[in-house]
Amino acid sequence: MRYSITINGSAKSVDVAPDMPLLWILRDVLGMTGTKFGCGVGVCGACTVLQNGEAVRSCQIAASDANGKRFTTIEGLSRDASHPCQRAWIAEDVAQCGYCQAGMIMTACALLRDKPNPSDADIDAVMSDLVCRCGTYPRIRKAIHLAAKLGAQK
Amino acid sequence: MRRREFLKLSAAGGAALVVGFRIDAEPSSFQPNGWVRIEPGGKIVLTVGKQEMGQGVRTSLPMILADELDADWQSIELLQAEPSPQFQRLGTGGSGSVYGSWKPLRTAGAAARTMLIGAAAAKWNVDAASLRTEKGFVINTKTNERLSYGALASDAAKQPVPAEPKLKAMSELRIVGQRVKKVDAPDVVSGKAIYGIDARMPGMLYASIERPPTVGGTLVKFDATKAMKVRGVRSVVAIKAGVAVVAENSWAAMKGREALAITWEPGPNRAFNSDAHIKALEAAASEPGVTIRKEGEGAAALARAAKTIEARYHYPFYAHAPVEPMNCVASFRDGTCELRVPTQAPNRAQQLVAEFLGIKPENVIVHPTLIGGGFGRRLWIDYAIEAAELSRAIANPVQVLWTRQDDMRHGHFQAASVHQLRAAFDENNAPLFWGHKKVSSYHNLRGAPTAQERADVEYNQDSAWGVYDVPYAFPSIEATYLSIDVPVPIGPWRAVFSPSSTFARECFVDEVAQHLGKDPLQSRLDMLGEPYDITAGSLKIDRTRLRRVLEVVREKSKWGSPLAQGRGRGVACNVYDGDTHIAYVVEVTAHENSVRVDRVVAAVDCGVVINPTGIEQQIEGGIIWGLSSALKGHITFRDGHAEQSTYRDFEVLRMNETPAIEIHIVPSHGEQPFGMGEPPVPPIVPAVVNAIFAATGKRIRALPIRL
Repeated sequence: MRYSITINGSAKSVDVAPDMPLLWILRDVLGMTGTKFGCGVGVCGACTVLQNGEAVRSCQIAASDANGKRFTTIEGLSRDASHPCQRAWIAEDVAQCGYCQAGMIMTACALLRDKPNPSDADIDAVMSDLVCRCGTYPRIRKAIHLAAKLGAQK
Repeated sequence: MRRREFLKLSAAGGAALVVGFRIDAEPSSFQPNGWVRIEPGGKIVLTVGKQEMGQGVRTSLPMILADELDADWQSIELLQAEPSPQFQRLGTGGSGSVYGSWKPLRTAGAAARTMLIGAAAAKWNVDAASLRTEKGFVINTKTNERLSYGALASDAAKQPVPAEPKLKAMSELRIVGQRVKKVDAPDVVSGKAIYGIDARMPGMLYASIERPPTVGGTLVKFDATKAMKVRGVRSVVAIKAGVAVVAENSWAAMKGREALAITWEPGPNRAFNSDAHIKALEAAASEPGVTIRKEGEGAAALARAAKTIEARYHYPFYAHAPVEPMNCVASFRDGTCELRVPTQAPNRAQQLVAEFLGIKPENVIVHPTLIGGGFGRRLWIDYAIEAAELSRAIANPVQVLWTRQDDMRHGHFQAASVHQLRAAFDENNAPLFWGHKKVSSYHNLRGAPTAQERADVEYNQDSAWGVYDVPYAFPSIEATYLSIDVPVPIGPWRAVFSPSSTFARECFVDEVAQHLGKDPLQSRLDMLGEPYDITAGSLKIDRTRLRRVLEVVREKSKWGSPLAQGRGRGVACNVYDGDTHIAYVVEVTAHENSVRVDRVVAAVDCGVVINPTGIEQQIEGGIIWGLSSALKGHITFRDGHAEQSTYRDFEVLRMNETPAIEIHIVPSHGEQPFGMGEPPVPPIVPAVVNAIFAATGKRIRALPIRL
């Protein structure tokens, strides 16, 4: 089946099985490997992308459901790592191995859209659905607060 | 476990200045395995064989070099060494990268700087002593003339390599000790960092492997008819590991795999379950083991005891569960195999893949990638062998990608163990005897031991790490280890094999303090008596440093100040592998069946601090790793396989469970940095357990903690 999916503002036409998750369309069909595979069952959040500004797990969205929709991936946040979340992530030295951070950043973007000035509790409520095995949680929390400030300045 | 270092320098000619040095080698055969290359354009390339898996080596190692070389920090690029005759001991583990690279990198930097100064002195026809260096330039202090390192590189390459270049005094170091941001961060936050899973080769296919449902099970037959009908599936091939479905993308491979009809022979371990194994460990705890360390009279001292305290601790199996699942890209062609692989052990990968394929090691080309979490799991080569075998079978480049369930079920687990602890005191409560016996299956990377190895002290010592290196002063000590074989793969974890023993020891010290009616923190200080420098088994312990970190957490945590009902404080400390000294005070809130870790105060003495941010990241990460093991998931086996399959049933700590973490880096003496990737892990778990006791009066002696 042929599906039309808009990724980072660019319309893509892909011919894939209807049940193929967006994650694998991005990674294996479109060659966009910034979105990561962690569990495939929606419990780790590594594959999180934005759909109309909301955080969604790309491993749980079938091609047939993605058809006609618009998504933003980590590659689409900015050209030069200048998005407030990206700047905050660098400034707070969040990443260790870095593997889960694309999912973390995309989730944070959605959180900040809903709550431009989130409390620790707001952050925990959303970010606790994601797994980081290196243990970067304290820095993610700080980076989200910083991103909120950077975003407000914009 | 101790790492050796040996240093000798050599230079290679050409337009660039290239200085070779050696990390981790025997003194007999010098061959450089690290290179500093200063190119005429000014770029400085450092080639070393340490893999980045989140511990920060791609940042910390260039910092060390830049400082001694007086290079502009920004001009240094780290190039990943690949296995070759030159690079025969690449490998990352045991928190040894900074420790082992410190002196070689500084010496290489100093040698290159001396040669650059020599070249400038010749050019200007002045005394080398009148020149200085700064940020990539040699400067004439009299005339203020400057020449860049790039401009001097080709002349410097002709200078003699100084046999013993003079290193900077510690007070002259400018970059070491500064907060430096991770060099890979911009790529990571942009999705540009390439991990193993992101590696691609032209024409590459994607594979998913159905493995035997029991450990040691074998394939009887399979029917691929339905699998071949799945869109995108190209072929189905039986390999040693199982049945591989090869497809045009990962999803098709996974779907094809679900459509396979396979008959397995469950094999000899079909009935293996962890409860029975733990009972066997229990039973063995009262049998004699191999004595690893005996001081004074050993257990004979018990005859004079006025008070003997005894307790038994249980430690479960754990998985590594890095978020990037195991994967490898392989391309076998014309008798040569090329691998792109996230591995902690590139040479092992080369050697074992070559052995498996029956080709020469030099015909296996290994490109190590960034690693999405290592933690010891990627010292194993199983996934690379699978990819190599499959690529040969299908005559096409292929990526083998494990699912999360594969990763949990077919891991190399941290072993379960039982610990029997005994301490004896005389009628004046003076320490007489300390005894710690650990029973587990062997932790190692070497396969089944011989009968001789089973009786050999050194062989057993690795598995008894944390048992024999008790830092406390008892006139008689007996540390023993006993192995019970287990059919599931066992391997090093974050902090290698030591967390279980440190858990048991530091919980037991708390129980001892309680029996003696003493404060647990003061009791530890009291037991860290003279002499202050001891050798415990093969490891050195600096009790002065350990006392200091304990004193710092006592002060910073306001130890002894009142806490609300249901809250408690616990302490634990450890010397990791003779190097990094850490103490924690943990505050918990416990009620009914739940426990929450509210706050962790950490004090660390890790020797010379390279990058304080890197140290703090490792402590935060080590605490969170340890808290996962204390409070969250563990692995159980039933009917010959691990029962867990994802982060839902092997839970890990999440952000809302993460405590406030306060880190104090204690100024150290000496001029050597020590490891930081693993040391934060072992003492955090007992500190939590001890805090729960303080809060509830309940002693936890088994992990994970269930109130």
